[in-house]
Parts: sequence; structure tokens; C-alpha cells
Amino acid sequence: MSDKTPNFSRRELLKFGSHGLTGAALSSILAQTAGGAVHSSHYRPRAKRVIHVCLMGGLSHLDSFDYKPELEKFHGKELQYTERPATFFNKIGLIRKNDWAFAQRGKSGLWMSDLFPHLATVADELTVIKSMVADSANHTPATFQQNTGFQLNGFPVMGSWVSYGLGVETEDLPAYVVLPDTRGYPAGGTINWSNGFLPSVHQGVAFNTTGTPIPDLFPPEGITAGTDHACRELLSEMNRNDLHRNGTEDALLARIRSHELAARMQLTVPEVTDLAGETEAIKAMYGLNRKETADFGKNCLLSRRLLEKGVRFVQLISGGSFGSPRINWDGHEDMARNHGREAMRIDQPVTALIKDLKQRGMLEDTLVLFTTEFGRTPYTQAGDGVLGKGRDHNMYGFSVAMAGAGLQPGLAYGETDELGWKATENPVHWYDFHATLLHLLGIDHERLTFYHNGIERRLTNVHGYVVNDILA
Amino acid sequence: MVFQVGQSQYLDAIHAFPVGIGIDTGDILRYGTVSMEMPNRYKTLVVILLAAQSLFAETVKTTKKRAGLDWWSLQPIQQVELPPTTPWVRNPIDRFVQAGLLAKALQPSPEADKRILIRRLSYDLIGLPPTPEEVQAFVLDTSEDAYEKLIDRLLASPHYGERWGRHWLDVVHFGESNGFEYNQPRNNAWPYRNWVIDALNADMPYDEFVRQQIAGDILAPDAGGTIAVGCLVTGPHNTTKPQNDTMRKTMRQDEMEDMVGMVNQTFLAMTTNCARCHDHKFDPISLKDYYSMASALAGVEFGERTTPLSRDAAEKMAQAKARIDVLRSELAALENGAREAAKAQLNDTTSPTGPTPLAAWNFNEGLEDLAGELDVSLVGGAKRTAEGLILDGKGAFARSRPLNKPLAEKTLEAWVRIRNLNQRGGGVISVQGRDGNRFDAIVYGERESKRWMAGSDRFVRYEAFGGPGETRVNELVHVAIAYAADGTITGYRNGVPYGKPYKKSLLKYPANNTELVFGLRHGTAAGGNRMFDGTITSARLYDRALNADEVMASAKSGGILTVSEQDFLAQLTPAQREQRTGLIREIQQQENRLDELKPGKVWTVKPIKPAAVKVLARGDVRQQGDVVSPRGLPAIRTIDADFGLKPDAPDGERRVKLAHWITNPENPLFSRVIVNRVWHYHFGTGIVSTPNDFGFSGGKPTHPELLDWLAADLKVHDWSLKHLHRLIVTSATYRQSSAMNVKAASIDADNRFLWRKNPIRLEGEAVRDSLLEIAGKLNSTIGGKGYRDMREYKYKGSHFYDPIPQTEVEQFRRTVYRFSPRGAKRTMLDTFDCPDPSAITPDRAETTTPLQSLALMNNAFVIRMANATAERLQTNHPDIESQVGALFRKAYGREAERAELHRAVPFIEKHGLPAYCRVVFNSNELLYVR
Repeated sequence: MSDKTPNFSRRELLKFGSHGLTGAALSSILAQTAGGAVHSSHYRPRAKRVIHVCLMGGLSHLDSFDYKPELEKFHGKELQYTERPATFFNKIGLIRKNDWAFAQRGKSGLWMSDLFPHLATVADELTVIKSMVADSANHTPATFQQNTGFQLNGFPVMGSWVSYGLGVETEDLPAYVVLPDTRGYPAGGTINWSNGFLPSVHQGVAFNTTGTPIPDLFPPEGITAGTDHACRELLSEMNRNDLHRNGTEDALLARIRSHELAARMQLTVPEVTDLAGETEAIKAMYGLNRKETADFGKNCLLSRRLLEKGVRFVQLISGGSFGSPRINWDGHEDMARNHGREAMRIDQPVTALIKDLKQRGMLEDTLVLFTTEFGRTPYTQAGDGVLGKGRDHNMYGFSVAMAGAGLQPGLAYGETDELGWKATENPVHWYDFHATLLHLLGIDHERLTFYHNGIERRLTNVHGYVVNDILA
Repeated sequence: MVFQVGQSQYLDAIHAFPVGIGIDTGDILRYGTVSMEMPNRYKTLVVILLAAQSLFAETVKTTKKRAGLDWWSLQPIQQVELPPTTPWVRNPIDRFVQAGLLAKALQPSPEADKRILIRRLSYDLIGLPPTPEEVQAFVLDTSEDAYEKLIDRLLASPHYGERWGRHWLDVVHFGESNGFEYNQPRNNAWPYRNWVIDALNADMPYDEFVRQQIAGDILAPDAGGTIAVGCLVTGPHNTTKPQNDTMRKTMRQDEMEDMVGMVNQTFLAMTTNCARCHDHKFDPISLKDYYSMASALAGVEFGERTTPLSRDAAEKMAQAKARIDVLRSELAALENGAREAAKAQLNDTTSPTGPTPLAAWNFNEGLEDLAGELDVSLVGGAKRTAEGLILDGKGAFARSRPLNKPLAEKTLEAWVRIRNLNQRGGGVISVQGRDGNRFDAIVYGERESKRWMAGSDRFVRYEAFGGPGETRVNELVHVAIAYAADGTITGYRNGVPYGKPYKKSLLKYPANNTELVFGLRHGTAAGGNRMFDGTITSARLYDRALNADEVMASAKSGGILTVSEQDFLAQLTPAQREQRTGLIREIQQQENRLDELKPGKVWTVKPIKPAAVKVLARGDVRQQGDVVSPRGLPAIRTIDADFGLKPDAPDGERRVKLAHWITNPENPLFSRVIVNRVWHYHFGTGIVSTPNDFGFSGGKPTHPELLDWLAADLKVHDWSLKHLHRLIVTSATYRQSSAMNVKAASIDADNRFLWRKNPIRLEGEAVRDSLLEIAGKLNSTIGGKGYRDMREYKYKGSHFYDPIPQTEVEQFRRTVYRFSPRGAKRTMLDTFDCPDPSAITPDRAETTTPLQSLALMNNAFVIRMANATAERLQTNHPDIESQVGALFRKAYGREAERAELHRAVPFIEKHGLPAYCRVVFNSNELLYVR
């Protein structure tokens, strides 16, 4: 196995500086410099790009996508399972009904609650998986698993894998952009968009919502544009002289090229992040004119602009770190207050994003992911015999939504048991979710590998089945 | 419960692997029209273990799909014949390389020129560029052993350990926070980093180096061993513990996988961790082997321990203390003369009298108020001697009679010696209400260590002055604080303003109910952190805010005048000043050393009493199987894997046995892996291209005989890594030019057969260190706590790390000393492929990206270094041409050519020298080592 595989030679390629490839490989090196695609598609890709709305803290499936009339029936009653559920806080209170009313929506009749009234208007665009399962009910390991397939620190996230697998459509922007919640980074900070062991070009680049969008984009004050320009000219000249003096080296040529790309990035980034050119109607649609929705609306609108410019993977984070008072979806104390507030922030903007992508014809080849690390329990987080207002973490069954390219719209897939505790029908693990995601992007999840530290690593580890039933 | 599953999930289940969380014994799995009941756990496990056994029987011989017990890396080290020599050959390494080249019809490249060689060696061995003087000396040294002398010098440099220690830290994924949700900082993990650096510098035999990192707390508790085992707990550690037992156990298993993986890969290049859930798919390592190894480490828990003060450390401390005494007296000798001279000069030019005080005390003479009626009495063991008022920081203070008139605008002033620089919060002179509640005082170190501040009730009149910290014990210092009518509060030290004034409201003290206290921040009795430890020589109180001139005049007339640093520095010659800087730096280093040697908290293995470890089918904590004893990997048949321990053996015995098993000289992986690792860093690629995997999925050696010869040679030379370095870098193979050879590249594009030396891009650390060095800013302090280029803060339970500017000398240290938490915000270092400390990194990527270009062009640190470089060049060289010449020598190790000077001069005239330095910092010639 040591003399093998395109991936292995790709790894060598990435280390071109120390391996000294010859001129023949140069074009692929330059493609690599810009994060260019090396993996050709394994299948016909249905999606070219991904937007991931990542809800931190655990969205209650029981209050959003997974309608359980039995909850109403058993409201205030004790759980009748023989096995005591394993939950994070190990407090099993009485069963609680959903805090938001459910109704069938659109032509598809997809069940959705009033938690997301705007999103409900595009129900016919959504594909909901109601039978998700995860391996951890602990936020950070569960979030890591959602994003990397592993519960530990140090593994590459989906965006990095997609960047690695497909490269960029534009050289002027990073392949993978992250828009953190304006209230703060999620717990673990940048681990959440780490390239892990993949080359650093695949790292998520977090755009700042205020000031310069990315660090070091421009020289600090005191260096004029004229001087900056002259510096780059001189640098290019000195680098070419160095090639003359010390001999041509592909890595050195790649560096010269990377400076040119950097200069282009300096033009494109400010342009794409400037929302001023958008019409008032569009701004209003995203909720930029309302206090509750302005922050997330801006990020949603920016996401669309980034996708238009060729960014491969945009991750929008809803929620910051996990402590109290909550700034995320972790409704331990009071579901109505917590989810009500969080949903208010994102419902209209996310809906606008889907509509906007649709009206621009982009939804056909864009995949929208709307996921959370786990769901919440049908019983409340309270003492025995007590009906509390909050719900604990539930990894055994929860819902995620998707929209766009290659999916069957208006579909709900899988089931949980009558109370919505465990997935019973067509359970979908994160591995399966990731396999399906890659499949839609034209990638066989078993063939997207990167040799690291003794193992051909995959986003799906050694697991994963494509959920064919949700594909169009 | 009935589960509907997919086909493959169903098949998995039939093969006795339970599927997914939440599916349990007795549950029904249904696929299409067929269904099955999950067998009970015990049966499931038996089936798995039986399957494992049968799989194993097949793995004796290597097949196309997996390695067997005959796999190359598991075989004993071979005695190899040296291939024939040729004129090109310098040492045995070359014979093997030559043979490899010949077989491919390749020729070695000619030897690189001396300037290239010294730059290459310098970066390779110590991670810093050679100075122009070193380049010059080496180029001019025509003696036969010039090259060897250079190597000896570099290997003897303490920077060697910093350079190679960084490589080691990559492999053991040294990180200084816990990761996961809370991501707490590990403020006491740094001693392990320093231990690695020290051990490498001391050329600790590699087998000992490893034994200490596995069981040092038992084998050598008094000699740093407790720090060394920090190696085992470098990885992420989740402290967000669920209430649920299964979840907690699973988390522990995750940690064990990381630890078992790290240990086996670092020392043996075996991916044992792959066998956590099932027998290894490619290598002869079974599920049971994994859990037996995990059992050897089962007593390892993450935490902090106080390291014992060993004989060794005591001896080193005594040495450091003695050295500090010598240095201090040298410094005093140097400074005293200058200080006297400055004082004499000062006294010549100033008036003898200062402003008139309301009260004045010369404690070295008596306790009386020389100006008024505020005589002082001693409390709690305070003493008055010819030195002044002696205070002990515990119970001692002095108290005046009440003031018989109101006081609002005022100035407090004192001449004082500090006995303990690290004390926090002691008051020197304080005016207070007689109940001791409301007060204004000169306070030392309360809010900011070593700094003066205006103390007041509940800090209402406090702001940081931003003045410098005190650095010298028992030095006489003059301090004054003036409180003006408009609320402005101005600090002074040695007669000159101390930081910046600020504005608060002025507190008015009524007549007859106000007093002065000395040595007590405020209050009526001693206690707490309010007590000052030191000596007050004299003090003054004024009923108005003195201006700067008056304070200076008072400072000078105090009779015990202190001269400003500026004044007395002016008395020194440049050479003396340099000597003084050197002395101060060495004192600082020795003090750091003392800090390091003191027993203190260290992030390391916190042993627990390990439970007997059971095999877990599929890695699932709910599917427990046979109990295993701690032991090594039986696949390594040259040594006995059996530790002779019971499943419930204590932690110490387990790890000691493990350490001896791993470092057994007959363990063929142990020596092969380290020589390959060292080779990898010297050449950019190892003889085996996968330093952490000598199994089926890894690379195969390009020069298997060379690998074995080096492994055997290392053992013969007592596991001396410096010997190995010397051998490698003196070879003709290493000394080759790195010039491209298109013909050779067409045969061996990856240069695996070493027809040239690979050019290597500087790692992120070397880039940063080089800029500091070129700018003359590098703080080359060895060891100590390290520096931070980030602000740590806690928000909603989680810790975050945001970059802050690097502007302080303490931050200008080598990058290996950077505090390195997980999940910090992006810095320039990330773009240069410095690894995420969560990931084990045996082999760094070397990428070129636009974000990297932007960082090196625009990062504020780079610009700051460019400015500092320019400033330094301008100070030392009169004209642009000579400035550019010096820059080239420093950055590139060569002279600038005419054409380069012609291009540089108009550019610099138009855009300035800093802009030019910025370009050089970004140039390929700087970033690549040829």
C-alpha cells in the first residue's frame, strides 16, 4: 500500500517545496496554490457549493420538525420506558408537549411548527431528516462529530474536506468561509473550523463582521497604496532574480503566483463584503431593517454574495459559547424563551436566503444545510415527577433540514418513536449524513481520503451510507 | 423496539457488530422483509473474539492486503555490509546513498558553496540564520576541520534544543489548553517543553529520554522525571463531564485512544489505536493488543502535580544563586562609579532646597516631624535604625499624631527601599481618616505587579499610571504622588513623572480626624495585603500639589538623591553600557532559572489507581469482554511482550514495564523510528516517508540497509542524538547542492534517492525567529515560562484566545516559547503551516497560499520588525548602500550585488528603508533554505 493512489501523490504534491517536482507538475501546483481541485468528480455532482447554517446548542426537533401528538396526550405524565434514559444532566422530569403548534405546510404537507413561521413558507423546498442519531450528548464532542465525523479535537471539518475535495471556483476568495455569530465564537473557538491535518489552505476563514473582513488583508496604517504597490513590484522582481541566481524551483514559482492571488483577494474581499449595492427590497427581505434579524440577515446576505463569487462552502453559525445566560439553542431552562429568541434571529434571514437563491436559479446547484449537534428530550430537565420548562440533550433522535440541489423537496425522512426520543425508522447517523453530502457534491465518501499519521483518513471514518431515499 | 435499517447496516449486524447508538440486546433489526433479533451482548462478544482469532491466524504472512508478522519493520535490525566506497563518499551514509543512486543511474550533485552550507546548517541545527560574522569566519576558515568545528559549535548551542525540541513537540501534539468546550488554559504545561529542550541540549541518551517521558515520575522523580511524563498528557482533555456514566466512560476511552495512539506512533510508528474497535485492518495488532496497551497506560490521568525539589535542582539553584550574587556585584561595581559621577554632576547644578513641606520625616535620623507636629510612633515590631524605618510586611507600621487642620490638595512623597519585589499591596505613606476607611496612599504592586499606584478606598481614585515596574531589590527609590484641586493625580518616580496623570475627584480630609500611616495601606491595625515589606528612609507631606519642577527639586534636595537612569547611563561608555545590558540579561536569565527550579505546579500525569481493563467490543463501553493484563505488542517478536503483571497491577509498575519494553535495545522499531525521524527533519523526507507509520499503510524504506545501519550505529553510540546529527550533516549526501537537475528529476521527481539536497521553506517559527534576529530584537532567553501573543478571556464558561500585538521584549522570544492553546484565533503562524496542537504532526505540510502572502506582507508584527530593522541599519550604517549591504549579509548571508544596490537606492529614497526591509522579509531567498 505504500506505492499507490492518487491521494498519496497528492500528499507529495502538497509538499512540493521539499520534494522538488519538475515543470510538468507545475500547472497542478499552481492549481493547488489556489486550492484547486485535484479530485475529479466520482459521480455527476448535483451541487457545486454548500451553505451550512449550524445551530449551536441543540435545536429541539420536538418543537420544530418532528410532530408528536402523543406528547400532548402524555403532557405532565411520567415516562414509561423500561430503560432509564441516559442524558447529560441525568434529570428525568415529566413529559412536556411541544411549545409551538404544528401544521402541515405547503403543497407537500410537511409538518412544521410555528417556531419558524417564515421557514414554513418554503416548506416545499425543504428535505427534513427526522431520524438523525449522534454518538454524544455533550455539546462540543457532538458538534465536532457533526462537523468532522469525530468527537475529538484535531479533525478537519466538512468545509475543509469539501475545499480539499473540490477546490475553489474562484482564486480570489478562500474556498471555505465562516461567518460566526455576532455574539461571539462558539466554544472551542477556531477548532470549529479547523483544517485539522489537511493543508492550511483548507482552513475555514472566519470573516469579521466589523472592520477588515479578514486579518492582514491590508497593510497597517502608515504604508501608502503607492508604497505597497512598489513593494510588491520590487518583491516580484527580486524573486525572479532569485530564480535566475539560484535556479528555478516550482515552489518558488508558486510563491510568486501566490502574491498575485493575494493582490486579487485584496480587491475581491472588500467588494464582496460591501452590502451597500443591494437593493432596499433585498435588504428588507433578509431582515436588515429589524433589530432582531439584522445581524443574522447580514450574514445570510453576505453568504449569498460569497457563493455567487465562487466560494465553495459558507458556514453560518447561529449561537455562541454554552454558558449562561444562553446565547444559543441550549434550552435547558425554558424552551419557549430560548428557542423563541433564537428562532426570531434567524427565521426570516434563512428563509430569505433560500428564496433568494431560488429566484437567482442558484438553489439548483447549491446545497443548504440546516443542522444542529443533537435534539432535545421529550421529557423535561427537572426532578422526578416535575414538569419543567426546559429540555435536556438528546442524541438518540433529532431532526435536520436541507434544501437545494439533488434532494427531494418537501420530504420528511425517517421517524422517531411515538414520543420522539429515539430514531426508529431509517436512522441516519452523521456518517450517513456526510456520505450523502459528499455524494451530492459528486464525491464518493470512501474515496475522498487524506493520508495522515498512518491512516487514510475520511470524513466518514470507516462508516457511512448514502441516504439514497432522499435524493431526487 | 424495532429498527428499520439499511442493507449494509443489517449485514454488519449479522456479522455480530451492533449498529448505532440506542440499539440493544433484544431489539429487532429489520431490513426490507427480513429481520433479526440482536443477540445478547456476551454472545456478540464471543463471536467477535473468535473472528479476531481466526483473522490473526491468517496474518502470520504478509499478503497483498495486510502486513503479517514477517512485515519488514518488525524484523530484527540487520547487520549490513557497507557498499563500496568512492571518492565522493565522506562517511558510511554516502556509501548507501551512492549505491541507491547508481541503481537508478543517478549522480550526486556537487557540494554546495560555503555560504549556502553555513545557512543550511544553521537553520537546520539551531533554527536561526548565521550572523554575518559567522558567515565571514566560516568562509575564511580554510582549515581542514572548519566544517566540523561549525557543527560542533551549532550542536553545543542552547538553541539546538529549542530547534529540535519544537520538532518533538509537533510529534507529541503539545498544546497548552484542554480543547473541547471549556478549553481552559494549561498555565503550567511549559515545564515539559523546557524539559524537552534541556534534555536535547544535554544530549540525554534517546532511550533514557523516552523512558523518562513514559515513567519518569517513578524512575527519576528527583531529576525532572515528573515533568517529563507530561508527554503523556499533552493531548486534548474534555472536562465537560456529563452526569451520565456511559457518556463519561466513553469520553475516557476517547482520551485513551489518543494517548495509546500517540505513545505507539511516537516511539514505535505503529498505529495501535486503529485496533480500538476491531482488529487492525492492515497490521498484526488485535483488539486485545490495543486494550493491553491501554491497560499499561490506564493509570494516567490529566492534572497538576507539585514537582519535588530534587538534589539536582537544589544544586542548580545554589549555582544560580551564587552566579546571581557574582553578577550583582559586577553590576554594582559598574554602576556605582557612574552613579556617583552622575550625582556629583547633578549636585553641582541644582539648588540645595526643595519646596516647603507641611510635614517632613528623616527616619534614618529620628521619628520627629521636622516641619510640623506630626511625630510618628512605631507599631507592631516596626524598627527605626540608621537605615530608616524598617517594615516587615507583616505587623509593622508607624502612625502619626492627628493633623490639626483640614487637608485637600496634597502631595505624598517618600524615599524607600523594597525588600521583596513581588509583594502586592503594601502602603508606603498614607493619609487617612482616623478610622482608617478613607485614604490616599502611595501603594506598591497592588493592582499591577511591581508597579506604583495611588491607593484609595475601593480604588475610587485609582487608575494605572502605566509607569515602569521596579526591577531591583533594596534600591533606593523616590516616589511621590500629587493630588491637585481639579482632581488630577500625578505620579513621580526618582523626580520624573511616572507614567501618565489622570483625573478623579479630590477627597477632603477634615481637621483633627486625619493622620498619616507608614507601611500600612490604610486601617487601624496590621493585616492582609496592606503591609509593606521594606525600608522608608524619609518622607514628606505637602498641602498642595507640587509641580514637576518642584518634585524634581525635592528629589534632588532630599539629601539621599537618586539619579535617573538616563543620567547615570550617560556616564558609561558604549562598551560599559553593553556590558551592563549583558549583566542585567544574565541576571534575568538566572532568576528565570531559579523560578523554574522552584517546586511548583506542573501539568503532568496525575496517577490514579487503575481498574482492570477489559476488551470493549467495537470500542463500546457497554460491551465489556475479557479482562486483559498490561503488556506490549506481541507482533514485535524480538522482545517479550509479557510484562508479567496482573490486570490490577499498580500504575507505576505498568508504566515502568512499558517504558522498558519500548526502549529495549532489541526492539527494532524503537531505533529505526528515531533515526528515520531525525533523517526526516534533516532532509525534508525520511528514509521511510511516513515517520509515524512503519506499518502496512506507511511508506517503505528507500534505503532499508542504511536505515538499519543508522539504527545499529545509534545504539553503539549510546543513543546519542547529537552523534546522529553529526553523522548525517557531515555526509557528502547532506552537503550536496540543492540546485535543480532536470534530468535527475525526470528519473526521481521526488528526490527520494537524494541526487540533491531538497530546498526547504522555513517553518513558521523559523520565519518569525528570523525576523526578530534580523531586526536585532530577538530575546534569546532560554527556558522559563514563555510568552503570550494572545489575550485569554472566559466567556460563558468557555475560554477564548485572541491575538494581541507583539510589542514587548518578553514577547520577542523564540517561537518555541509561545503559549500554544488549542482553538486560538488565526495568526501568521497558522498560515505558515504551524500545526494545530490538537493534531499529532509527524510531518508538516509545506503550503503556499495567498493568505500566507497577505500575512507576511501585512501583519503588524512583520511591519514592526521591518521598522526596527531599518532603524538599526540607519543607526549603524551611514548611507543607503551600506545599509542594504548589511541587510543582505544579515538576511541572505551574502553581499548585495551592484545591480541590486542600484535598484535598492532609488526605491529606498522614495519609499523608505522599512518598506525595503518588508520586501526582503517576503523574498523567496529569505524564506527558502537551499
